[in-house]
Amino acid sequence: MSDPADKKLGISNSIRTLRFLHNEMTQKQLADLIGVTRQTVMAIESNKYSPTLEVAFKIAEVFNLPLDQVFSYRSGK
Amino acid sequence: MDNKQKVIQWLQETSFREVTLSVDFIVTGYISYFYLSQLLNATPEQLASIEWLSTVLLEVIVYSIVLMVVSYIALAFISDDELSRPMDVREKQINLVGYKYSAIILQVGVILALVQYNIAAQGFEFMQSSVPHLPLHILVGAFLLAELAHYGVQLYKGRTGEIYE
Repeated sequence: MSDPADKKLGISNSIRTLRFLHNEMTQKQLADLIGVTRQTVMAIESNKYSPTLEVAFKIAEVFNLPLDQVFSYRSGK
Repeated sequence: MDNKQKVIQWLQETSFREVTLSVDFIVTGYISYFYLSQLLNATPEQLASIEWLSTVLLEVIVYSIVLMVVSYIALAFISDDELSRPMDVREKQINLVGYKYSAIILQVGVILALVQYNIAAQGFEFMQSSVPHLPLHILVGAFLLAELAHYGVQLYKGRTGEIYE
């Protein structure tokens, strides 16, 4: 079953899933790797905060994936 | 789980910046309560006396400094490496949102104080029992309220993550 949050307009991401697939990486570990706080990772994961382009690229780099496989955008058009 | 463990767990779940903001909020709240209680319990003669008022303001400043120093020393014992790290972009945005509300309250306070000062200077009987040095009280009140808003908004926005609304 798909997450209703995924159907929301705007930027969404699959960070939670990717963390789980990467040895159940914690939010704190990811936060340390990309140079933000754990609270910021929490806000990004729950789509309450859109990260800067730099942070988005850093997250993609951590998971060794292209940006569009970590973040997606629904414009409603 | 005893209370000490609960406190430790809560501290681990909460960012140190949130703890610091909470302490700042509580200290400012106490200072506001102290100032308000001094005004409410003062006699009309005390309210009219500039010496009494300057003593109260001096007490407010001294209490603020002492409480902030003591709380920051206490927080330094439980802090991790978080304080040494610069704020990330989201935290800076939240900080700015806090400053925005703080600035609005300060602006309104200053305008109200100026209006009240002019009303008093023109000799209008605006209120039945006029409070002496009211513009000063409005300024101090606005400052304390602005500080509370600054800390409170940062805590709220940081916790809910809703920084765009």
